Amino acid sequence: MEAKTFKGGAHIPHYKSWTEDKPIEKLAIPPEVIIPLSQHIGAPNEPLVKKGDTVKVGQKIGDSEEYISAPIHSSVNGIVEDVDYYPYYAGGEALSVRIKTQGEDHDFQPSEERNPEEMSVEELQKAIREAGLVGMGGAAFPTHVNISPKTPVDSLLLNGAECEPFLTCDHRLMLEKADQLIAGAKIMMRCIGAEKCYIGIEVNKPDAIEKLQKMLENEPGMQVVPLEVKYPQGYKSTLIKAITGRDVPRGARSADLGCIVRNVGTTIAGYEAVVYGKPLIDRVVTVSGPNVGKPGNYIMKIGTPVSFIIDQCEVELVEGSKVVMGGPMTGNAQSSLEPGLVKSATGLLVIPPEMASADVPYTDCVRCGKCVEYCPMHLYPNQLSIYAEAELFDMLEKWNASDCMDCGICSYICPGQRPIADFVRKVQPELKRRSRAGKTG
Amino acid sequence: MKGVSYMNPKLNASPAPHIKSDENVGKAMRDTMLALIPITLVSIYFFRVYAVVFIAVCMATAALTEIVVRKLQNRPHSLQDGSALLTGLLVALCFAATTAWWKGVLATIIAVAIAKELMGGLGWNRFNPALFGRVSMILLAPWFVGISTEFMRWNVDFGPVDVTTQATPLAMMHQGLELPGFGSLLMAYPGGAMGEVSPLALILGGAYLLYRKHINWRIPVSIIGTVFILTLVTGQNPLNHIATGGLMLGAFFMATDWVTSPITEKGKIVFGVAIGILIVVFRVGLAPTEGVAFSILIMNAFVPMIENATKRKPFSEPKKIMVSTEN
Repeated sequence: MEAKTFKGGAHIPHYKSWTEDKPIEKLAIPPEVIIPLSQHIGAPNEPLVKKGDTVKVGQKIGDSEEYISAPIHSSVNGIVEDVDYYPYYAGGEALSVRIKTQGEDHDFQPSEERNPEEMSVEELQKAIREAGLVGMGGAAFPTHVNISPKTPVDSLLLNGAECEPFLTCDHRLMLEKADQLIAGAKIMMRCIGAEKCYIGIEVNKPDAIEKLQKMLENEPGMQVVPLEVKYPQGYKSTLIKAITGRDVPRGARSADLGCIVRNVGTTIAGYEAVVYGKPLIDRVVTVSGPNVGKPGNYIMKIGTPVSFIIDQCEVELVEGSKVVMGGPMTGNAQSSLEPGLVKSATGLLVIPPEMASADVPYTDCVRCGKCVEYCPMHLYPNQLSIYAEAELFDMLEKWNASDCMDCGICSYICPGQRPIADFVRKVQPELKRRSRAGKTG
Repeated sequence: MKGVSYMNPKLNASPAPHIKSDENVGKAMRDTMLALIPITLVSIYFFRVYAVVFIAVCMATAALTEIVVRKLQNRPHSLQDGSALLTGLLVALCFAATTAWWKGVLATIIAVAIAKELMGGLGWNRFNPALFGRVSMILLAPWFVGISTEFMRWNVDFGPVDVTTQATPLAMMHQGLELPGFGSLLMAYPGGAMGEVSPLALILGGAYLLYRKHINWRIPVSIIGTVFILTLVTGQNPLNHIATGGLMLGAFFMATDWVTSPITEKGKIVFGVAIGILIVVFRVGLAPTEGVAFSILIMNAFVPMIENATKRKPFSEPKKIMVSTEN
């Protein structure tokens, strides 16, 4: 199979065999959910409920007047126990709604079934905004903003690369919900005015490629693009470059390049939002790792506590393990088991000590050049790590540190165990501050 | 809940990425030593106990030097990464097996203590430590004349080895003598330093390093290619040039040193071509010895400049900014 790709990146072990053949199934309903009120990039939401309120599945519990925001809905029927700060998956605490679940049935019941073809573009965008859709591949940017481009866009790129190890939720969605995916893609195409749709899938998912290719035979303008199995193939910039061949200059938004990139999970959620008015209250999450007794791809309610998932999936939690919400390269390692599941969580991975990275002593850079060979942004991570460790901001600017998209491949490969990505991550806020100060002053 | 943060002591919450490749510095050093086993065995075959003792002395000196220097600097030693032992082995291979053992000791101390540890340790040294140690001995040679009678008493005589008095092929070439055939030069021909006796054994080791992805093809190919072409156009026999002297040791094991070679792809080629040119200049125009070592050390000094000049453009700075014209 001819597969497209970009220059840079690396083949890394997949670790997908634990879950790639496991059909999507429902996880049990937890006794309580902890739903962070802001799960998107943008303006924070205000709570719409208070302690003691009764809430229903799909009821809006947080929203903001700002354009760049996405509302939050209750994922269960129950009673609000508390609106307060709770441990957050990305560290620290976040304003959250804790809901005690009541009753047996927590499925969303659509009040009507709408035909997207009879809806205007504004109605489609509004339905997606009201459903609280955000990028479900990890970015968590409000979807309605993405699909309201100001300049003409010719192509919709669906991201089915799923380049991070372990994760298989998008793979299963492409196999099991291909109809909704294609219908969702048509909705997105109408929203952005695109005439072409490319579904980028890494060739380690031949069943998904074959299935979608067959289904798209009679869909003009839509096609599957097989991609080389390489990390980070599924990043926005590398995906655009691989599929369209278009360069992605610094600061350009994808709309400027004539394309919009959407994750396959988000696209399916978009279909459900438009047709059934279903808000983003649950998602498919890959629970995996060698010590997971029941690994799989589970539909879970947003807000499901990590500890509940660990229990339900019969995880043997060995001392020194990492519990990661998201993918193994870019997700967040949990320091407690309390946080609730968020909309952008692709996985809940339990990585035992022998596989996990850790805070270990690292050497000086030995200049082996592997990070330089693999960096998808074509930077010099070797230099950046030294400058970032020493906080030499002029040098960091000169060597384009702010181009880093934090894929983590440099840290993964470094023979000196240097936490290169983390060094560079830590200087980004100061680099942003300097860049803003430079522009205004 | 505010202000209360509960940390689960069982969990490792270090930052992303959460998985790690099994690459480490020690593994790369061990692989390099493995790649040097063929040439070491050929040396031992020719020079018997002389080779064994000289190599052992240099490697032990390297380890001891690192321990002592780090102790003085109040830093823990890092013998487990194998870097010091590898330097010791490389220093040894730069000498003839019958060289007085104390010269090996001195060269190794200079290599590890001065060229590596005092420069800031592995990663910060600008010059290839083994070659630095080797050429220091040449520069110190006049001084040895005075003290060698003193040291001679400590020399050990392991008895005669048939081949040790042979002239090196490069010296023979320089004096216009008839060389042995290319085949025997390539396979194994005793004469000169241990690391010169068998280009084939070095190519074998180099191929292993390429296969294990510890080195990149650009440097050895550009050095060997440049020497071949330049000797060809200056009317010499290029095959004799690539099969003699320290060319293969230099091209595969010295010039490819991670720390002291350019990290950029184009830079590696510039570096290799420049080394190739210097080697030919040394061999054709100057003394028929240590041309490879001097060429690599000279180019080591230019590495930061080469890297700066051959920096690639970031992904975010495409040559021409494409504006969508489709629709």
